[in-house]
Amino acid sequence: MSARDEILGRVRRGLGKGDAAGRRAKAEALLAAPVRGPQPAIGGELVARFVARAESLTSTVSRVAAASEVPASVAAWLAAQGLDSYCVATADVGDLPWSAAGIAAAVRSAQDADMVGITGCYCAIAETGTLILLSGPETPASVSLLPETHVAVVPAERVVATMEDAFALLRSERPGFLPRAVNLVSGPSRTGDIEQTIVLGAHGPCRVHIVIVGDAPAGAR
Amino acid sequence: MSAGGQSQAMFFRARAARQAGDVGLRRTLQKARPLFVGKRAKGIAGLAADGLGFGALRTACADIRRRVVDDLDVWLEIFEERARATGAEVLWARDGAEIRRHVLDIAARHGVTKAVKSKSMLSEEAGLNEALADAGIRPVETDLGEYIVQLAGEAPSHIIAPAVHKTIHEVEALFAAEHGRPLQARSSADIPAMAREAREVLRQHFLSADMGISGANFLIAETGSAALVTNEGNGRMVTTLPSVHVVITGIEKIVPTLEDFASLMRLLPRSATGQTISNYVSLLTGTRGAGDGEGPEKTVFILVDNGRAALAGSDFADMLRCIRCGACMNHCPVYFSLGGHAYGWVYPGPMGSVLTPLYTGIENALDLPHASTGCNQCGVVCPVEIPLPALMHRLREVQVERRLRPLAERLGLGAWGWLARRPTLYRLVVRLAARYLRWLADDSGRIRVFGLAPGWSAGRDLVPPSGPTFLERYAARKKD
Repeated sequence: MSARDEILGRVRRGLGKGDAAGRRAKAEALLAAPVRGPQPAIGGELVARFVARAESLTSTVSRVAAASEVPASVAAWLAAQGLDSYCVATADVGDLPWSAAGIAAAVRSAQDADMVGITGCYCAIAETGTLILLSGPETPASVSLLPETHVAVVPAERVVATMEDAFALLRSERPGFLPRAVNLVSGPSRTGDIEQTIVLGAHGPCRVHIVIVGDAPAGAR
Repeated sequence: MSAGGQSQAMFFRARAARQAGDVGLRRTLQKARPLFVGKRAKGIAGLAADGLGFGALRTACADIRRRVVDDLDVWLEIFEERARATGAEVLWARDGAEIRRHVLDIAARHGVTKAVKSKSMLSEEAGLNEALADAGIRPVETDLGEYIVQLAGEAPSHIIAPAVHKTIHEVEALFAAEHGRPLQARSSADIPAMAREAREVLRQHFLSADMGISGANFLIAETGSAALVTNEGNGRMVTTLPSVHVVITGIEKIVPTLEDFASLMRLLPRSATGQTISNYVSLLTGTRGAGDGEGPEKTVFILVDNGRAALAGSDFADMLRCIRCGACMNHCPVYFSLGGHAYGWVYPGPMGSVLTPLYTGIENALDLPHASTGCNQCGVVCPVEIPLPALMHRLREVQVERRLRPLAERLGLGAWGWLARRPTLYRLVVRLAARYLRWLADDSGRIRVFGLAPGWSAGRDLVPPSGPTFLERYAARKKD
């Protein structure tokens, strides 16, 4: 007997239930109409909550009014950090006027030597200050992973309240299709494995900088 | 871990004694304990700010896991179908030997010479690293803690913090030897530099490996995906860079929907490390898509039984809900007195005291269900309502039913049972025994050496019974 049949047989004998078809139909019904568990009450403005949570995870955040202002904002931030203006970028943000701001943005997968990776994001979660990045030909996952610095451009209208809301967006916008990787990124990489001391930048980026586009409060530019 | 994932749990007493006598280890563990407990408490308390109650969330999460465990066969079939539909291969393994065979087979087909690994407890169950090395494939653990214990030739002593038993000086010695550099004096201020050093060494392994091996925190039936939760980002590296990705995971890890996954993610990181969310949570589905320039070309799931199927519908089915957060060990006084290595197999703490006997044979881990103070801290903090002390208690009952207890204990209990069924005789014997104990006591009124339990009285004195027996007092009071 195959391992599969033997293992499933053991489970069935243990459960001692008949009616495989009925149980299967019940399970399929559950999948067809997913039910949410207890939901958090995310009060106040979503973007403000997202910013507060992202900052508590040691991400840094700046806000601009329009996408055209992103390159100058990123250039200023890179200069303040003493970081190079040579960056690798995903195609979804590749069309921004980077060179006008003095940034050389190469649109491709990241390599080991790349120091700064710039990405867009699919959406962001206010509850936890999390970015959701989808892998794909235009948005290779390595850009947010290999460089020491990750800069993410987040349109304010893509900030949703919860992980469930993010999944609902995925279902409605890309039905029946998850890319190879849906990466939820919450701040820089970290480890506590030497004497429980938290260190940033274990394997992934040690800095995550988020630029929120639009919906900027007056005077915050 | 010894070769082949062999359990050493039958030597618990000897291992426990050795570990308890290690003053340095005790100091390290006692330092870690309040951190684990404090961080979880803060994380759970934070739920209230969003109007969430731990109790309600915990019940919801337990119910999600119950739904899966109650119809596990159905959910496995659905997961298998949907994972295959995404282009992944699904294999099944009855035990550790079959895991090793599958992985070596895949490695041979793809000409693999180096495998980078994100933490997988199943690979520890299988003793996979030894098998890979024997086949000429270099296994590299990439979770920093796992890397440290791999360099030390040891097993993890904690499922979330594998190197919690190691001091900075021990880590420094391992790094100096492995990385071919002189030993340096280190203080905690050097920890970032040491983590940096490991990052640079492991980065080269990520870039040159042909195969990535990971576990899965959950399998999502709805989408046929593996969910992977890490803080370091090694899980992302292992599943993005090599051209082959092998997911080794237990058959019980399924959750039905993405919504269910979202619920469990509110409790898993909080229970484990107190974090509201882990830094990296990845849902991995199928292989690299059309036009993708990266990601694995081959994805294989190995769904493992290794003792799990036998728990379905049994007295121990509750244990299949476990999501491996480690909260039970983080709150266990026994764990923090002995450290994880005392338990002798993959899973330490209360989780291990239940899993090890069930997965490796009740007769091979007789002492583990007794390694409990009965305080029920583990039961209180468990995010999926597993009654760990009750399961340990049930395991003790099974030991008695299967006559696995030591002869002296069986004879003693048998004699007591015989006596207890004869009230008159029982009263007489108890009266005589109380008198005998009073006679044993020395001038200070204490029994210093008690012949029936010399081990017990070696470390403490026994206070003899005073006055009449309970039944004598009861009878006297009735007359009044």
